[in-house]
Amino acid sequence: MTRVRRPSAQTMAVLQALAERPDQWRYGYDLCTQLGVQAGSMYPILIRLADRGLLETGWETERAPGRPARHLYRLTGAGRAYASAAAAAAPATSPAPATSPAPATVPRQSRLQGT
Amino acid sequence: MVVTFAALAVTGLALLLRRTGGGDTPARIAAVAANRLPAHRQDWGRAMAAELTQVSGRARRWQFVAGVLRVMLFPPPRHPARVLAAAFGGLLPAVGATVAAATEVPSLSVFAAVAGLLLGGYATVAASRAHRLRPTVPRVAVGAVALAGVAAAVAAMVRIAVAYPAATIDSTHVFSVLFALALTGCLALALSPVSRAGPVDPASPANAVLSWALAGALASGAGLTAVAVTTPVTTDGTTSLLWPAGAAATLAVSAGAAATTRNRLSGIRAGLLTAVLGALMRFALDLTAILQVHHYALTSPYDIAAYAHSGYPSVASYVLSDALAGGILGGLVLYPIALLVVAFLGAAAGAGLRQLGARRTSA
Repeated sequence: MTRVRRPSAQTMAVLQALAERPDQWRYGYDLCTQLGVQAGSMYPILIRLADRGLLETGWETERAPGRPARHLYRLTGAGRAYASAAAAAAPATSPAPATSPAPATVPRQSRLQGT
Repeated sequence: MVVTFAALAVTGLALLLRRTGGGDTPARIAAVAANRLPAHRQDWGRAMAAELTQVSGRARRWQFVAGVLRVMLFPPPRHPARVLAAAFGGLLPAVGATVAAATEVPSLSVFAAVAGLLLGGYATVAASRAHRLRPTVPRVAVGAVALAGVAAAVAAMVRIAVAYPAATIDSTHVFSVLFALALTGCLALALSPVSRAGPVDPASPANAVLSWALAGALASGAGLTAVAVTTPVTTDGTTSLLWPAGAAATLAVSAGAAATTRNRLSGIRAGLLTAVLGALMRFALDLTAILQVHHYALTSPYDIAAYAHSGYPSVASYVLSDALAGGILGGLVLYPIALLVVAFLGAAAGAGLRQLGARRTSA
């Protein structure tokens, strides 16, 4: 079995949040509010995950007039496998990341163009 | 000096924010920060700026913008190993230079340590931000001139430290730190990419800025050298009369670059680069010239009175110490700041002339 290097607690929380509904696209700010993570920490995590091919990114194509298109995120196949392996490798005694019950507000009908 | 720097920084930021157009202050800051990200992270900058539209409440918006600024200042490197190598690659020479300075020229050990750390830090930051920066002729030439200028300035300082150690003793370490900061700042300004990485295009604004700056610096250097060679050497240096010439070169370069690129900031950048490269040459030439003096004598009544109580072992040490302090504070710090104001004026004039020309053509 391949040994998975354990990510930081915040990265783990982001992975878990994205893995909850792996097919659904998520917004960066919604992840921030859901996990209680500041943007200055959230975006570097998302950038690193995308660099490693674990995160798929895209831009909204349908958006409200008067505001720019938002960036969307979801795990790739490799990302899902990594999230599962990392969760399995995490010790049971490790503290759970702080989460808030804020629901995801990503519109399901979003269509994407690749970045 | 701190107040001057702060005023310049605030003015520059205000100019940048004004250019970004609509939205509240956090939105403008986010837009500026997004554009300041390295080219390969620009999408992420746009993503963060777009996400800010969903953040409500003044405190939350400022909190979000603080995160955007954090990402702008320290973007995750694409190749962490390369950044680590740059950090070690910068740290080892820094330690080596400090040890060598402490052994050979102890009075320069603080300067060596600070300069090594600053240059190592700059190399690390540059490695984390750079992405396939293509070498162009103007970029390489400006970098070479800046490196030669810094090397000449350090060589002049070392020559003085070896010949007259008392002249370089800096008990407060203020001038050692200032010298290191000024040299690192000059190098950073000359070596940092002018605009985002793109295809090699001789007509691109980045190349135009660098070409204008290079032309201005070479013209300044030629003028300085001519004066240094033809003027009799005195303890006041040989190039002190060339301040107006430096100002004229900065004015011409900033106006030309702003008119060519149709961008005021490009003009300011080119003018400042000219001033900085000229300041390095002037510092090295002045100190080298003063070192050629065979007989050091004090002519000012103030200096004659001050020397008696100064504790310097010789008149030469006193004169050179004075020249060093003046060269660092006046030549490497205040001179570029003063010329930055000239660059602002030149860039405004260049942009205005360009608009006037365009109106006449259309009319």
